[in-house]
Amino acid sequence: MSELAFVSPGEARAEAGFSPRVASPLARALDGADGLSDLSLLGKVEVRGTLDELPAGMEVLRITPRRALVVCAPEQCAEVLESTSALALDMTAALAGIELEGDRLFRRLTDLDPSALPAAGKVAGVPALVAGGEGRYRIFFPQEYGHSVVEAVRDLQAGLA
Amino acid sequence: MRLPPQPGEQVDRSRACVFTFEGKPVHAYAGDTIGSALFASGQRVFSRSFKYHRPRGLLCCSGSCANCMMTVDGTPNVRVCVEPPRPGAVVEPQNVLGSLDRDLLSIVDKVGRPFTPVGFYYRTMIRPRWLWPAYESFLRNVAGLGRVDKHRGRTTRFDAEHRRVDVLVVGGGRSGLAAAREAAARGDHVLLVDENARRHDDEPFEIVAPGRAVGIYEGGLVPVDAGSLLLRVRARHIVVATGTVEQPLVFPGNDLVGVMLPDGVRRLIRDFALRPGERAVIVAADDRALSVADDLTAAGVEVLEVADLRERDVARIEAKGRNGRVRQVLVDGEAVDCDLLVASGSPQPAYSLLAQAGARVSYDAGRGVFVPTELPPGVEAVGRVTGELGDLGPPRACYGDGGFVCVCEDVAVKDMKRAIAEGFDSIELAKRYTTVTMGPCQGRLCHLGAIRLYAHEQGTGEAAIGTTTARPPWAPVTLGLLAGRPHEPAKWTSIHHRHVEAGADVIWTGAWQRPHSYGDAPAEARNVHETVGVIDVSTLGKLLVAGPDATEFLERLYPNRYGDLKPGRVRYGVLSTDAGRIMDDGTVARLGDETFYVTTTSTGADGVLGWFEWWNAVWQLDVEVVNLTGGVAAVNVAGPRARDLLARLTSADVSSEGLKYLDARHGHVAGVPCLMLRIGFVGELGYELHFPSTYGEYLWDTLLERGADLGAKPFGLEAQRILRLEKQHIIVGQDTDSESNVLDAGMSWIAKLEKDDFVGKWALEHAKARGPRELLVGFEMANGTVPPEGGQVVRGGRLSGRITSARWSEQLGRAIGLAWVPPDLAEEDAGFEIRVDGRLESARVRLRPFFDPEGERLKA
Repeated sequence: MSELAFVSPGEARAEAGFSPRVASPLARALDGADGLSDLSLLGKVEVRGTLDELPAGMEVLRITPRRALVVCAPEQCAEVLESTSALALDMTAALAGIELEGDRLFRRLTDLDPSALPAAGKVAGVPALVAGGEGRYRIFFPQEYGHSVVEAVRDLQAGLA
Repeated sequence: MRLPPQPGEQVDRSRACVFTFEGKPVHAYAGDTIGSALFASGQRVFSRSFKYHRPRGLLCCSGSCANCMMTVDGTPNVRVCVEPPRPGAVVEPQNVLGSLDRDLLSIVDKVGRPFTPVGFYYRTMIRPRWLWPAYESFLRNVAGLGRVDKHRGRTTRFDAEHRRVDVLVVGGGRSGLAAAREAAARGDHVLLVDENARRHDDEPFEIVAPGRAVGIYEGGLVPVDAGSLLLRVRARHIVVATGTVEQPLVFPGNDLVGVMLPDGVRRLIRDFALRPGERAVIVAADDRALSVADDLTAAGVEVLEVADLRERDVARIEAKGRNGRVRQVLVDGEAVDCDLLVASGSPQPAYSLLAQAGARVSYDAGRGVFVPTELPPGVEAVGRVTGELGDLGPPRACYGDGGFVCVCEDVAVKDMKRAIAEGFDSIELAKRYTTVTMGPCQGRLCHLGAIRLYAHEQGTGEAAIGTTTARPPWAPVTLGLLAGRPHEPAKWTSIHHRHVEAGADVIWTGAWQRPHSYGDAPAEARNVHETVGVIDVSTLGKLLVAGPDATEFLERLYPNRYGDLKPGRVRYGVLSTDAGRIMDDGTVARLGDETFYVTTTSTGADGVLGWFEWWNAVWQLDVEVVNLTGGVAAVNVAGPRARDLLARLTSADVSSEGLKYLDARHGHVAGVPCLMLRIGFVGELGYELHFPSTYGEYLWDTLLERGADLGAKPFGLEAQRILRLEKQHIIVGQDTDSESNVLDAGMSWIAKLEKDDFVGKWALEHAKARGPRELLVGFEMANGTVPPEGGQVVRGGRLSGRITSARWSEQLGRAIGLAWVPPDLAEEDAGFEIRVDGRLESARVRLRPFFDPEGERLKA
């Protein structure tokens, strides 16, 4: 096992009568929610250092010139982790994510400029990374705040309805 | 009674609604305001004044003054002159005892005035002190504005919305509209905000109306009050087109009902087709105000006299009334009977927003007003706010020695004169002492009048007096709007729902919500001692420190050594501030030559992360610090059967030789990749499992299911607190405070003062040379009483220390705790007393862990 395997959900395996069940941190919070999709189980890898060696065809959210979040299919995480000589960390479990629709909803959640995404900033009062634009937004945030963010989003949706 | 249809009138006579005022129905047309409908129904008194309960009527009709404030559907301080009526709305007067027309509290005006001059509350009602609450309650009941109904709860939903535009135009008059159209034609994204509800149709830009710009803050942030929505607007370019505010003249009787400002009169006639009076007198010093004579004549009002203060050197004006309503005006002694006095002391550019943005304001002596100059970059002024005002002349400061400078706060001319006599000779001091300009109009209608009066009384001129500092809010704003939606983000671990389902009582620890216990904390502690318990410790801060300089980085940050820590081993670490004080503690596991995994306390994680990043920036070492807190769940499996349970779930070697005390090993547990740390905060054989949080519920469930026959049960924070106290393990923040240093907390063994350098070394060297002032020790009670945490340590009748932790240990059958005591008390068996409910109870010092002092169970 690599020394950071304990951070990667992808390292789980069925063995000796055990079959690990993965769970989204938003599973309960999003129950019955309209217009919100759960991105929590997408693969997410944070890269620190050179960003030139990343595999092609994946979404790269640049935070600084030397720091980025790669969003990929869960099974592609290992490929991203191995592709670069920079420090790469599996953030799949650390970051929950939702996709939502609507400019007004977005403007009530955050003061980030929707025309200048991706960007890092506060969404519903918690630190987040936001991608998208043109009415559709993907928001990634610490999973421990998952229920809190979804609660705020659903409350604001109700206020706009 | 309405006039015949007026050109451009705002009311739609084909649609009507009914609301109630003082319990009686009032009819309103669509397009009316509550104020205009009340005026049409014959109501003339709209409020009772703040302090003296003098009757007040419509004055500005533009939402600036406090004269028409009423309570509408329970919301206090609504300016009804600009508030549209809702069918069935309940409108009530405020600050009255009785009714608006018969307010019993008006006795204050008749007999109380000699006793209540400006600042009376600084000089009277001081003794006896025990009557203060009664004075306060009395004053709050007889003076003030509307009341908030504390029992109604939330009735309005307030939201906030962030907006970014190219151009923000504040003010929808002619100049504001022109500026907005021009910017829109250039292709800019334009937002126009206007205080009036009037619709501007078919404009090629967005309009928020009614909306009030509350202020201009740093960075060009303009909060706009749009009712129940607060827009936080950031614009590249701000155009201020706020126009002017007509200033009242100051003369005896200037607050009588029927004394109005010209634009207010114009609105009543043009917008609402109302006749403001029958017989009118006009006094003013500018063309625009004087031309209201034409409107009045057209509306069938008899204009008896027009006094142009530029042409006629009027020395005295006096309005006389009956029942608070004007019935006669004397201009230099010449009496005219009338029921409407239109009086204007010139339009003053509404420069407040510009001044807030950083503009300078200068006095224009020729015209007698203040005008904005030297605008900051990104801010533009257009229209009348710039000082394009036509022909006007400076009126006198006062016409006579009576009257009110500030109608909102009932500040009279003699109050201002008295303030000067008492030495409050600058306008800023006048504001603080008399509260002039501090009322609901925010100085819109009294600022210039106060400056003119001060200039006149002190003979210095307005330019020398200057203006008061312009501050937000430029328009009053409800606190609910500023507060917005109540939302306090809480952190939950990935296992949180399992705790709730198991009936745990959840408590806040910092931003986290954690299980305090699952119903019976002593039983949970017993289970850890006897079989095996599991506790969710995912809240621990978890930082990865990686890079070629990782070892050097930790050596400099921690008082103890990490260079000699072998990969696969764990060491306890305590972080010291520059002053040698304990800031946090936790474990450091070495995962590889250049990789360390650092845990912190649950509430200290963010602080430690910031601390690490700060020093990383200072030292410029080749190391990265990554916060893994939320991504890694952690469960402590502790108790004599912990190894048995773990062995059922993993093929890794977890024998006492394979996974020794303070070892760190990788392995799959129930198929989940884990970092297993063999450590022992709770004092029994224990393994801290760290693994991806997406498997939190799965692994928690598996541990409890597969361990059920071994006796595996969850335990909460309270059980953990008992268990760790039996081992005298400290909790940073509970047993230490911001003054506690590493040596005094009994951890001199951890401070390697022979190291080259580390944060806090200098301070700890001094602390060592100085010797301890107090030391943290364990103690046990003689009779089993559990003393209060924070309780006093007493020796020889003198206060000499404090209790930080205390619990009843069922395992030991004793009450135990930790306390800070003087150094000479820090000896085994030393005795002291603890104050418990006023009694003194005996205690003895215990320097070694109460439970398993040799660590045999821990290291088994």
